[in-house]
Amino acid sequence: MQLIIGNKNYSSWSMRPWVLLREASIAFEEVQLKFDDTGHVKGVERYSPTGRVPVLVIDGDPIWDSLAICETVAERYPEKQLWPADARARRMARSICAEMHSGFQALRAAMPMNIRSRYPGKGLTPESRRDIERVVQIWTSCRSQHGAGGALLFGRFSIADAYYAPVVTRLQTYAVSLPPAAQAYCDAVLGLRAVREWMDAARRETEFVADDEPYATRHR
Amino acid sequence: MTSPMQLVIGNKNYSSWSLRPWIALKVLGVPFDEQRIVLRRAETKAEILRYSPAGRVPILRHGDTVVWESLAILEYLAERHAQLWPKDRAQRARARAIAAEMHSGFSQLREHMSMNVRRRYPGKGRTPEVLADIARISAIWAEATGPFLFGEFGAADAMYAPVVLRFRTYAVEGPNRRYMDAMLALPAMRDWIEASEREPESIAELDLYE
Repeated sequence: MQLIIGNKNYSSWSMRPWVLLREASIAFEEVQLKFDDTGHVKGVERYSPTGRVPVLVIDGDPIWDSLAICETVAERYPEKQLWPADARARRMARSICAEMHSGFQALRAAMPMNIRSRYPGKGLTPESRRDIERVVQIWTSCRSQHGAGGALLFGRFSIADAYYAPVVTRLQTYAVSLPPAAQAYCDAVLGLRAVREWMDAARRETEFVADDEPYATRHR
Repeated sequence: MTSPMQLVIGNKNYSSWSLRPWIALKVLGVPFDEQRIVLRRAETKAEILRYSPAGRVPILRHGDTVVWESLAILEYLAERHAQLWPKDRAQRARARAIAAEMHSGFSQLREHMSMNVRRRYPGKGRTPEVLADIARISAIWAEATGPFLFGEFGAADAMYAPVVLRFRTYAVEGPNRRYMDAMLALPAMRDWIEASEREPESIAELDLYE
C-alpha cells in the first residue's frame, strides 16, 4: 500500500490520511511529490486521474480524495475502529468530516496550512472568523456528547481527529486564541505521535511554494 | 427503528445538495417525510438551524439523531442498505473516490452552471475552468459499466444526479448520453423535475443568465 502525498508543510489534504494510517499503526509506503509554484504536483498524473494528492494505491488501484481514502482504510481495518463504534457518534463523525471536506472555504483561503511559519493575527476576516466559530462549536459538541473516553473528539483517536488536525496546525500558525476547551483539544492533537512526526518533517522542508504563502515577505 | 426518517431539503429547483440523498432514498424505496425550506429568505438560516447546527441542507433526522452533509447521509444509508456501494471491494473504493471528488470539487462548474432545473441556458457558463470540469466528469462517466456508474443505481450516481440536470439546463453535449438518459428516466428523477417546475419561488440571484 502506497500513500502519495505533497509537501508536509503545505498539504493539508495529504496530512489527513497520513496521520490516520500512522496513528493507527497501519504500514504503508510513503511517496512524496512536491508542489511547483502554482500548486501543481509534479508527477501525480502517474498515480491519479484527478492530478491531485493524496492518493492511496492498493494492489495497483488508485483511490483518490482524502475522505474516500479514510472510508476505504476504515473498511479494510475494522479492528482499528477508525470510525467511532457507537452508531450515534459515528453519524456525527461522518457529518463533521464531510462538512470539513466541502466547507470552510474562507478559513482555507485566508489561513493556508503552513506548519513551519508563524503569522499571528493574519487571515482573520469576518468570514474566516465565522468558520473558526463553527469549528469550535463542532469540537465542543463532540467533546461534550461523545468525548468521555479520552481527550479527542470521540474519546479515543478516530478519522475525525485526523480530519481536523490540519485545522489545529493552522490555529497555531496564525495564533488564534480559543476558548479553553478548544485549546485543550488542540493540545491533545498536537501531542499525537503521528501529528508530531508529520510536523517535525514539515519544519525540515525548505521548498517555498508562492501560491501557499500569502503573508511571506521574502521571495517577493 | 420505528420512527420514520425526515429529510430536510431546500428548493428542488436550485438545491443540488438536497437532490442527492433525496433520490437515494427514493430509489431505495425507503419511506421518509420531506421537509422543504425555501432558501435565501430572511428566515431561512433560523429555520435550518432548528434542524442542524451546521446550518445547511440537506439534513436527515432519524429517531433522536441528526446526520448532515449529503455524503455523510449516503454513508449512513449505506450502513443499512449495502447496495448503495458496489459489492466488489476495489470497485467500492473507486465509487467512494468518485463520490468524494464530487463532494469537494468541481467548484467552477457549480458556480457557473448552478442547478436550475426548469430553466434552459444553452451554451452559457462555459469558461475554460468549467470545460475542464466537464472533461473530467466525461472521463468518469465514460467508464460507467451501465446503465449506471457501477451497474445499478448507487451512491455515486446520487452524487452525480444534479450534474445530469445541469448538463440538461446548459445543453452540454458530449458526456455519456446513455448515462444521462438512464438517470433522467428514473421515476424519482422525473418526480423531482416535475416538482421543480411547479415550485412557485424564484431566487433572482440563482437565475444566473436572465
